[in-house]
Amino acid sequence: MKHCKFYSRLLSLLLFSSSILAVQATPWDDLSGEQLEQQLVDKFAEGKYSPKGADNCLTCHRKNETVMALFSGVHGNIASSDSPMAGLQCEACHGPQGQHNRGGKEPMIAFGADSKLSAPTQNTVCQGCHNDPEQMAWHTSTHNLEEIACADCHTIHAATDPTLDKLSVNDTCTSCHTQEKADMNKRSSHPMKWDQMTCIDCHAPHGSMSESALVKPTVNDTCYSCHAEKRGPFLWEHAPVTESCVSCHNPHGSVNDNLLDNRAPQLCQQCHAADGHASRVVPEPGMDAFGGGKSCLNCHSQIHGSNHPAGSLLQR
Amino acid sequence: MSFKLNLITLSLLAVSTSGMAANFGVGQANTTAVDTQKYECKRCTNVTGYRGEVSVAAGYNDVSDIHAGNALGTAKDGGIAAVSGDVHYQGESGYQARIQAHQLGMDNGFAHLSGGKAGLYEFSLDYDAIKTYKAGDVESGLWHNDGMLTPSDSINIFDLAQRREKIGLGFDYGQDFYGVFVNYSQEDKTGHKSASLVSPSPINFGLPTDATTKQFDAGINFSGQNWLTELSYFGSVYENHIDHLSLPYANDVYSADPDNQAHQVALSGQYNIGRTFMNGRIVTGRMIQDDNLIQMTGNPLQNWDGQVDTLDGRFALTSMVTNRFRIGGSVDYSKRDNKSSTAEFAQYNFNSLTGAFRQNTPQDIERNTYKINASYRIASGYRLQAGYDRKDVERTFSDREQTNDDNLWLKFNVRALDKVNFNLKAEHANRSGSDYEVNELTSSENNALLRKYYLADRTRNAVELKVNYSPINWMSLDISTRYAQDEYDDTQIGLTESEDYGYDANLNIAFNQHIDGYVFAGQQWINSNQAGSQSFGPADWMADVEDEFINLGAGASYSGLLQDKLTLGVDYLFSNSVSNTDVTAATTNPYGDYYSYNHSASMYADYALNEQMALKLTYRYERYFDTDAANVGVNDIPGMITLGDINHNYNAHQVMLSFTYQLR
Repeated sequence: MKHCKFYSRLLSLLLFSSSILAVQATPWDDLSGEQLEQQLVDKFAEGKYSPKGADNCLTCHRKNETVMALFSGVHGNIASSDSPMAGLQCEACHGPQGQHNRGGKEPMIAFGADSKLSAPTQNTVCQGCHNDPEQMAWHTSTHNLEEIACADCHTIHAATDPTLDKLSVNDTCTSCHTQEKADMNKRSSHPMKWDQMTCIDCHAPHGSMSESALVKPTVNDTCYSCHAEKRGPFLWEHAPVTESCVSCHNPHGSVNDNLLDNRAPQLCQQCHAADGHASRVVPEPGMDAFGGGKSCLNCHSQIHGSNHPAGSLLQR
Repeated sequence: MSFKLNLITLSLLAVSTSGMAANFGVGQANTTAVDTQKYECKRCTNVTGYRGEVSVAAGYNDVSDIHAGNALGTAKDGGIAAVSGDVHYQGESGYQARIQAHQLGMDNGFAHLSGGKAGLYEFSLDYDAIKTYKAGDVESGLWHNDGMLTPSDSINIFDLAQRREKIGLGFDYGQDFYGVFVNYSQEDKTGHKSASLVSPSPINFGLPTDATTKQFDAGINFSGQNWLTELSYFGSVYENHIDHLSLPYANDVYSADPDNQAHQVALSGQYNIGRTFMNGRIVTGRMIQDDNLIQMTGNPLQNWDGQVDTLDGRFALTSMVTNRFRIGGSVDYSKRDNKSSTAEFAQYNFNSLTGAFRQNTPQDIERNTYKINASYRIASGYRLQAGYDRKDVERTFSDREQTNDDNLWLKFNVRALDKVNFNLKAEHANRSGSDYEVNELTSSENNALLRKYYLADRTRNAVELKVNYSPINWMSLDISTRYAQDEYDDTQIGLTESEDYGYDANLNIAFNQHIDGYVFAGQQWINSNQAGSQSFGPADWMADVEDEFINLGAGASYSGLLQDKLTLGVDYLFSNSVSNTDVTAATTNPYGDYYSYNHSASMYADYALNEQMALKLTYRYERYFDTDAANVGVNDIPGMITLGDINHNYNAHQVMLSFTYQLR
């Protein structure tokens, strides 16, 4: 629920900051995205930067709290030689001022939900500096192909970017990934709703070279990074475990215990029908060793693999 | 750019850019007329020194079941206290540092410390503690001491809970064209988890856990104008401090998770030519496990050489062919080569065939995945995407040695409308493969009609619709709904069909700068059918599993009281997870109760004493109930021992008063 509170706060921040910025209709409101981009491209090539940098911009914008919040964060760090403030300052990201300050008739490069500029074009601004291994797979990532803008998740004009804070990164992801948000509240789930774990413990939001943008090369490698006791290799393996942990588990959450797609014995009986023992009818739980306690795992407890020489049936 | 642009080049550029994406990267800027020396930044705010906040909280927990510790941060019943904070330091010379702490003093909390010079170097130190509570006051007749489980008439009472405590150190350094990083972490995991042994009848018991996982990562990267490459190493070592378990009358009835290690070396890179981007990676890895094997008659080995070599490779490409049309694709290769030694080991049997030997079957798996996708902007704000994915898997020692998955998908996005965005996705997938054979090495006695669901022929159809509606600037409504169906047409025994559908709706309101709120609701249904045969022939029983999940929440906060000094807030969440199973043989039997629900509520009042100090009073309520009809009394089932009724039914409360000091 605190997640939603976060959205409301974020929404209010965005709405009010945008309402302050766009309280009056701007002359470029009527331009289409393409027309706006073309105008900005021309302006960018022309390179008419302001004579005094940020001081020119802040002549008008200094009363805007969102604008001034930049100076609380790393992008407004005037002491750093790597910050935009050491170079073109505001115009490093928002483009050359041109005639913008002459009655506000020229558009600037703007970011976020209200910007008409396409996400890939907005992102070129960020990528101009942020070209490091974390973004190596960005261009082929789902987020890029879905045209997600950096500013959809990241907040630059703030002391702390919510995506860089362990206590708010899950909120950022689940503002779009609503099914996964619901999954956190199921009977079993990873401890996400209390922010003990975060989405980015397993997934790389900038894309990765693994399936589902996982941080490790395979599903199992990702799981093993916290569940190393299941890595083995074991003398006696359980084939679907070796193949993929998601053969049986749903890592986002389940109405069953232990993130299982189904509970035992039914889950086990979807693959095991060796004889009347494995495939016997278990009509009620709690009546015998087949349905009571840990069901099939009462005996086959080493379900992830056994290292006992006599453990081929994963019993010991 | 070092050349002067005249009107001709400007107009040429304007024409050429109509077919090219804009690039507003600062490196592309035309700075010929810029003199940043004149920039004084008089109006800039120079935020040097410390800023942030530190808070100290004390309160009271009313906890009758330790399971409440998951939601409340600690299972302690009585007085509790915690320290939290987030403090940033900004130096005059560009040096910066951050200390963040959350709930230090409780069972679940973390601390993060980092510092360095932006864009040059950074070091970090992390501490994380996670305690996960399953059940408290669990009863067992077995007492563990140094690998021996001793039965006793006196009951051993313990908690099924595991605590992870992790310490991490990191350092990275970067200059113009290169960067390096080194990370080390060590996690200790202790507690008890539910386990079971056979002696010869089943006994559920609390398996003590005490293990350490060490991880070491390092890498170096180089970058240029249109390329980037990284060479990295990841190593992980798992050490289990609990040995094999024995009973006084039976040795080594439960083997310990073996010590193991894994190493990976990865070389990855990215390159772009104009609007075509490509990236690739090769990862070579090795997993090693050569713990001593339990010595017993029929085991020919002292220690087993378990070794799996892995090779993962990928190449992906995406290209904006025109401003409207994008095309891309990827090829993935993944090989798991199990090089572990094989031998024949005597197995215990519980029928007359005692003394049977079985050879271990180290499985190799090889995957090839091919994907292509295209995206076309039909008009401004209307985009169509389509793709085809194919995954081929080959595995040894399996009922089905080859499977191939084909997946065709289509997406349609509409963002042209002022107040509404639509995203529609449809998917059709099909799995088939080589002949399904009952493999004598894996399952010599399996029913010939069985098709294991992860190998079986399957047809999947799925559709998903997401709508975002913002009728007014202070309200946003997101609705998504989805349906998916899996059909296993060739399966007579096993999972035959499943469907998964649901919706969720999220309404967020920011009425004005003082009032905001939210409401959300979601439901999901997962139904599946399976068939079994206890006559080792055609299906003679069926199971129908119907899962249902509902999730509701609402909250609001109001910050305009007492000259804006007081903020009041309330949050509420309800979720209910149900799994209903009907087993039909001669008659239909409902397979017992299996559900859980919780009501989580909190209320708070945050009062600003002055610019620097604030007091916050928070009340949290947790109502939790779960039941599983399989959980019965310790001796309720003849011939076996359980851990008892470990279902939950509790109300828990927490009151906390926190004092926050703002550093500005």
